[in-house]
Amino acid sequence: MALADPTRVAIVARLAGGDATVKELTEPFALTQQAVSRHLKVLEEAGLVSRRKAAQARPASLEVERLVEVLGWIDARRREWVDRHNRLEQHLRRLDGERRPRGQRR
Amino acid sequence: MTVPSTDENFTVRHVHPAPRDLVFACLTTPDHLTHFWGPTGTHTPLENIVVDLRPGGAFETTMVNDRSGDTYTMRAVYVDVEAPRYLSWREVDSGVFTEVTFVDLGDGTTEVVTVQRGLPPHMRTPEARAGWGTALDRAATYIANQGSST
Repeated sequence: MALADPTRVAIVARLAGGDATVKELTEPFALTQQAVSRHLKVLEEAGLVSRRKAAQARPASLEVERLVEVLGWIDARRREWVDRHNRLEQHLRRLDGERRPRGQRR
Repeated sequence: MTVPSTDENFTVRHVHPAPRDLVFACLTTPDHLTHFWGPTGTHTPLENIVVDLRPGGAFETTMVNDRSGDTYTMRAVYVDVEAPRYLSWREVDSGVFTEVTFVDLGDGTTEVVTVQRGLPPHMRTPEARAGWGTALDRAATYIANQGSST
């Protein structure tokens, strides 16, 4: 799980503010370069972070589009279920009204 | 049957004003499903719903867009069926897994807990697999909070 680790979540948040090299990422998190590299590798494998191959310092970039695509898909599905349950509740209330007609319905 | 146990995309809870048997029947009977299944702006005609309520049985719905008439088909297979308390299915095309738990609240109402796990293949990398949704949600919340607190 790429983002199960709070440090990786923090790295993602940091990269949301702009690309950063491994060295630049060690400072705010008090991590060794090896530790940062390990975290970046996990994020890279999940497709959330990319790194320029050519550059000497290989800054890491957040794959914002991918993050947005996945979050958007999940949110759409969640809203679909919220909506579905609202309509199910209306359906149940209609059924209840039919079972127990009160007053002069028509 | 292997079922992913972690990595929820989301959980939706809703308390329905009806006894558990009826709520379970609503989610497993085409005559009921046709009244509420399709998202708002679509409808799901009775003849477009297949329910073969047993593990391995088909659960298929073809929703029709009210305006354009475009259709969207969801093909799934039931994984577990334990009437009236639990139901799960897996979508055939995407592998997305949905489970629905029906909790009898004892006062004639029923809480329905819907959990979805997994992502469609085009959103997965081989390494990332089934739904890092929860983690992503946390990341998004974290990022949003970072933004608002500064």
